[in-house]
Amino acid sequence: MRIIKLLSLVSLLSVLFAGQASAAITVIVNNANSVSLTQNDVSRIFLGKLKRFANGDSVTPVNANNSVGTRTLFNKAALNKSSSQVKAYWSKLVFSGKGTPPKELDSDAKIKAFVASNPNAIGYIDSANLDATVTAALSL
Amino acid sequence: MRNTTLKSFFAAVPLLIATSVSAADINFSGFATIAAGSTTSNEETYEGYTSDLDFNQDSLFALQISSDLGDGLSATAQLIARGENDWEPAFEWAFLGYDVSDNLRILAGRQRLPFFMYSDFLDVSYAYHWITPPTGVYNIPFDSFDGIGAIYSSQIGEFDSTLHVIAGRNQKEIALNSGDITKPDFNKLLGAAWTLNRDWLTLRAGYFQSEMTLDVAQLSDLASLWSQAGFNSVASNFVAEKDDINFAELGLQIDYEDYLLVAEFTRIDLSNTGQPDQDSYYVSLGKRLDNVMLYVTVGADDDALENLIANVPNVAALATLNAGTAGYIASQQSETKYVSVGAKWDFHAVSSLKFEVTKYTDSLADANDATLIKLALTTVF
Repeated sequence: MRIIKLLSLVSLLSVLFAGQASAAITVIVNNANSVSLTQNDVSRIFLGKLKRFANGDSVTPVNANNSVGTRTLFNKAALNKSSSQVKAYWSKLVFSGKGTPPKELDSDAKIKAFVASNPNAIGYIDSANLDATVTAALSL
Repeated sequence: MRNTTLKSFFAAVPLLIATSVSAADINFSGFATIAAGSTTSNEETYEGYTSDLDFNQDSLFALQISSDLGDGLSATAQLIARGENDWEPAFEWAFLGYDVSDNLRILAGRQRLPFFMYSDFLDVSYAYHWITPPTGVYNIPFDSFDGIGAIYSSQIGEFDSTLHVIAGRNQKEIALNSGDITKPDFNKLLGAAWTLNRDWLTLRAGYFQSEMTLDVAQLSDLASLWSQAGFNSVASNFVAEKDDINFAELGLQIDYEDYLLVAEFTRIDLSNTGQPDQDSYYVSLGKRLDNVMLYVTVGADDDALENLIANVPNVAALATLNAGTAGYIASQQSETKYVSVGAKWDFHAVSSLKFEVTKYTDSLADANDATLIKLALTTVF
């Protein structure tokens, strides 16, 4: 009886966790890129403060544009900023001629295609869409 | 100088584009502020506003054109049309940038002078919480220069460090308090601003110096009267002719969770020019609640002009001149402060609505006290 209850509890929990896992984001890099990244690294890359991987190769970040749900989640989870704060941050750099924000693409499929074809690219997608064409570098 | 710089910029750009068309990548972006304001009673004027609702004073529309010319070279130009200038567009800056390395960037042409923490994006209201940065501190009559800038970024321990060094000149026309328009010469502009940033903490220090030549009719007249009276050294104190001036700034920003604290202090030394020295500061505290930010700003400005006729004998022959000069010196002393309360609402991903009420107090002349209410819509695109 107890074991059955425990098993049903476990299966209930795994269903719940599976539900949550599909709302999570995975930061992806090209399959040829074996770099390991912390959340701080990802934040600095997407804020333009880190321009090279640890191995010296330059980084090309790609953002999901605002119409894709992952963008808002990424802003919060990786950058700890609201969309307006991110926009304000980049405005300061763009309008002083000091920097440009990462390129934007409007679907996970396009982001995967971009990362798969660029050895220096880094992007993020809904974890449920992860496949073998790209490598997971960090889960958020 | 201005025409030559712009002409050479425009001569250079087509040449560069012609040689690397495939690498050229032109980007248009921009920002706009539509602001309306009014003081609360008929006799009050403040920051160019009167008690009649004014939509032009702080409104502006800007277009930025940037082009990545490849191999680390880029061209940037920003065109701004300001309501207070009858919406006449003017090039705020136009420069070429070159990335010497990952850490060093050189800018050449007309560019922003990094006097203050918010200098780089002074006109981009969307980028900060006020409608305009506190005018007590942000009141230098020019904010760009023609020349060379170098920006060096590095890491010092856990801090991101940015050192911005500049050298150049500014000869833009300015409007004096009297309403006269004059063309000063800020030559041999030299200085640097150093910013350290770690997470939520930003520290800044800046120092700039220049040789100033400024022709103010009232002061020229005063100077010639003193020369005629035989006091050439006193006369020269009222003339700004290649006189060394300097500016120092300290800034702090704490942007932690939902709280924002910004403070800046500046000191302007205009000795021997007949203009007063200025000490200014502000402290602004804001709290974010969802997509609204509420804030309070407190600031003060002290202008002081030293007694330039301290060593002149108090004889009858000089009585009128002494009195007139003493009157001018007294008129340049100033002690003012202000308190602002405001709210910013990010109602849209790229647009915010702002409301601000400021109470301004002139400790030496109550007649100048004013209360100003402003509303603004800002956006970037």
